[in-house]
Amino acid sequence: MKTDLAVVGGGLAALTAARAIQRSDREVVLVWPGLSSLYFLYATIDVLGYADAGAAEPVDDPGAAVAGLIKDQPSHPYARAGRPALEGGTKMLLEWLREAGLVWEGTLARNVLLPTATGTPKPSCLVPASMAAGDLRRADPIVLCGFHGYQDFAPELAAANLRRSWRTGNQVSAIRIAAPGFDADRLFTSIDLARSFEDRGFRAEVANRMRRQISGDGVRVGLPAVLGLTRAEEVYADFETALGYPVFEIPTVPPSVAALRLFDRLRKHLQETGVELFWNAPAHAATVTEGRCTRILLKSAGREQPIEARAYVLALEDWVDGALRAGVHLVRDPFFGRVIAEHAVPSQRTAESIFGVQPYAQLGYPVTDRLQPADETGRPLADNVFVAGGAIAGYDPSGTKSRGGMAIATGYRAAMEAMAAA
Amino acid sequence: MPDLSTGVVVIGGGSTGAGVLRDLAMRGIDAVLVEKGDLASGTTGRSHGLLHSGGRYCVNDLQAAIECVEEGRILRKIARTTIEDTGGYFVSVTDEDREWEPRFVEGCRQAGITCERISVEEARRREPALSRHVRTAFWLPEDGHLDPFFLVLANTESARRRGARVMTYTEVVGFSRAGDRVTGVRLRDVMSGAETAIACQAVINATGAWSGLVARLLGVEVRVVPVKGVMVVLSHRLAHAAINRCHKPGDGDIVVPALSVAILGTTSAKVPHPEVLPIEWDEVRRMIEEGALMLDGVTTARAMRAYAGVRPLYDLGAEAEGREMSRNFAVIDHEVRDGVKGLTSIVGGKVTTYRLMAERVVDLVARRLGVGNPCTTADVPISDHDDSLDQLRHRPAQLGVPKPHSGEHPLEPLLCECEMVRPRDAAPWFADPAVRTLEDVRRRTRAGMGPCQAAICSYRLAARLVTDRGLDGSQATRAMADFLETRWRGVRHVFWGSQLRQAQVGTGLQMELFNLDRQLAIDGDRPETREPRLPSRRPVPAEARG
Ligand SMILES: Cc1cc2nc3c(=O)[nH]c(=O)nc-3n(C[C@H](O)[C@H](O)[C@H](O)COP(=O)(O)OP(=O)(O)OC[C@H]3O[C@@H](n4cnc5c(N)ncnc54)[C@H](O)[C@@H]3O)c2cc1C
Repeated sequence: MKTDLAVVGGGLAALTAARAIQRSDREVVLVWPGLSSLYFLYATIDVLGYADAGAAEPVDDPGAAVAGLIKDQPSHPYARAGRPALEGGTKMLLEWLREAGLVWEGTLARNVLLPTATGTPKPSCLVPASMAAGDLRRADPIVLCGFHGYQDFAPELAAANLRRSWRTGNQVSAIRIAAPGFDADRLFTSIDLARSFEDRGFRAEVANRMRRQISGDGVRVGLPAVLGLTRAEEVYADFETALGYPVFEIPTVPPSVAALRLFDRLRKHLQETGVELFWNAPAHAATVTEGRCTRILLKSAGREQPIEARAYVLALEDWVDGALRAGVHLVRDPFFGRVIAEHAVPSQRTAESIFGVQPYAQLGYPVTDRLQPADETGRPLADNVFVAGGAIAGYDPSGTKSRGGMAIATGYRAAMEAMAAA
Repeated sequence: MPDLSTGVVVIGGGSTGAGVLRDLAMRGIDAVLVEKGDLASGTTGRSHGLLHSGGRYCVNDLQAAIECVEEGRILRKIARTTIEDTGGYFVSVTDEDREWEPRFVEGCRQAGITCERISVEEARRREPALSRHVRTAFWLPEDGHLDPFFLVLANTESARRRGARVMTYTEVVGFSRAGDRVTGVRLRDVMSGAETAIACQAVINATGAWSGLVARLLGVEVRVVPVKGVMVVLSHRLAHAAINRCHKPGDGDIVVPALSVAILGTTSAKVPHPEVLPIEWDEVRRMIEEGALMLDGVTTARAMRAYAGVRPLYDLGAEAEGREMSRNFAVIDHEVRDGVKGLTSIVGGKVTTYRLMAERVVDLVARRLGVGNPCTTADVPISDHDDSLDQLRHRPAQLGVPKPHSGEHPLEPLLCECEMVRPRDAAPWFADPAVRTLEDVRRRTRAGMGPCQAAICSYRLAARLVTDRGLDGSQATRAMADFLETRWRGVRHVFWGSQLRQAQVGTGLQMELFNLDRQLAIDGDRPETREPRLPSRRPVPAEARG
């Protein structure tokens, strides 16, 4: 098929790029390999949590911190994308979330500090409104509530850590209730709970049971992020009213309801507003003639299908969506068939410690100033291809907690460049 | 002043020490086992878990082969539940292998090993993954898979019920003597550093590859050569039976199906110290290349991790290298050899022959102590006492929990989806004071051993340390981080293909969803300042005990 622009990828960078193109009234198809296996990391959007991977103190003003980083490290992906792309992309995303019916909060000028499921404060920039009340910059006492038999949120562990890692003197306690209708000795998941929360009777009963265990003034209540799946905004508001305390959600391990809500809603919204979407279609090759990419091939329903566009955005999440293929020694990119890295010994791809800075996470395409994939001399591999998100070489967002912001900035910039090139 | 007094102190909690403890207890001899790590955290927990039919040794070491045959039959009687009767194939893939065949067949005959030659077509019908290189196949029904951890635990439990005591995370750091007689051991609690002492009449040194180091504390020499062996774990079984190369034992010639995974083994390299076991890429590569000669799918299956064990090869004086040395064991009577009364070492052997080794050494020690009771371990099943060992016997991945949506009965909650471990499988261990790290829980339940290598269950296990064990947040988080770190050490040596994707999901969860790296920093435990320690020795803090 032929189109003006094609975006390839399953994460936030791909969604951002597709939306940016659509908003400019250009024709775009989104080639989506399905949900990225890293989708759960977008329960919140982290722009820059720490100035570097070793910094202990969280960043207060991520916008300003990114500006500083751009000045100091001109080859950093944030510098390549540029501050206007981060700002423009963030503004666009917030508007889009609203339009798509998702209520999110945040500005680039301020990080909030939310407790994770281990009870660790984590700086995030844009967050669902249902999580905002967890901000640890406020001192109100916190009650964390879990469910008997549900193992993906442990209020006891989270409270035990939060007591230490939060400002001393602030109060944290942990409770558990039996989820109505669920047997603690039978398996149930976050999704099961989230579906049940869509039922008003269930919510009311949960609120009842929780209220019996909560005491104290000015308390706020933290729960695993299971407050509704498709009608989360309504569920959240109603549940908070029923409970009578401010409520906040805490993201959990996959299946992550919070991230599912985001991706489901944005994807559907794109489709509803006319973007053609190839679902479950991993793209795996590109044809380049005379410095321009003429088509990419994707596998759709078992068949190979070419997509011909005038420009392309490759916004794959590293390994996870098959952006790069790692053999025993060679790491290749499937689109241009280039060797991206060579390792005599596979363990060179890793740090000795799982908590160290991981070389493998930094593998990707070297890019030009316009985010084109480049060869080792810095020349673009194709004039009309642009890279966004984790597939860009040279950075690992996990130490700085910057995955979301990087996805937005590079996705947005790549989209702008692609439109200019098409 | 000793803190405790007993008949015999057994040093080492591997298969040998555990077997010795049970044998002593069954002869009515009061005994205490001390182990510096967890039970089976030495070589025993790092073997392939092959219950040797003896086929591997029948040409080069007939004596060892005969011992395997006999002990295999005994173990099937006394330790039924620790064994999966997989059977095994010996396959030839080269001309050289073909030349080995007549000697192999003759060796099997002499050792009394059941061995049946079958056509390659028949072998491939039974094991479709056999490679096209396979030219001949022999079926040895007595090869099997032995769960080494469970075997050790069953032995120590049996001994405990007969009055023996077990002290884990307790290291022998010295001996006390009166003239030429050993009168006790000095101990150090590995977690707290506290020193204690036990008075005893005799000491049995069953420390395998460490036995030279332990004997040296008394100024006595035991010439045991530590020989490292590397193994690679594949994410599924590939074959129903154990697959052996029919040739002179060498590198990479065994593939052992172990519950849900396959283990490729092994290599052989002398090391300076039993705890210096670096995994070299060359070793990993060889395992995979050699394994692929026998089985299809070895190169395409996901390699999940690599690990190393250390053989306690006893140098009988021969100058031979690694594998040429006898796999037979030796009972060293230090009274006769060195004039040190009360000390006996038992070195070498295999997991398969642990019972026989125990019998031999206890025969000697019992005689010295004037105890005439005969050995009964070959006859009395290990879980003879009552049914409470059922708890240990429950290995969910093995027994099969009903599948979700199967319409049978609803699935119970799972702590570890990969290995189908339920909270109630792990619960008893959180109450057991001997369990002090999440690695210890892993050894007892298999939690964390599957494809995700603890990415998800580590959180749930850490949560249990708080709720079931009463640990504080920093201890539980520390334990979680240590557990992940230990898994990572094995994962990073097979880092290609979908492993990278898996790793990215795992580190994404820990660093980005939980912010675990910052939690450690908050607790003052920065990764870069942490000392590399032996994985299985990472303790849950002392306060955590029971
Ligand atoms: C790679 C490899 C694969 C193998 N595969 C098989 C197989 O498939 N089948 C088979 O039958 N055999 C196999 N073996 C052989 C078998 O694993 C060993 O022979 C057997 O486990 C030795 O048991 P052990 O109890 O003597 O030693 P270990 O299990 O090493 O026990 C000795 C213990 O002593 C402890 N210790 C040391 N110093 C002290 C101290 N000062 N104080 C207190 N405790 C101390 C150590 O921590 C250790 O736990 C394999 C061996 C290797 C290396």
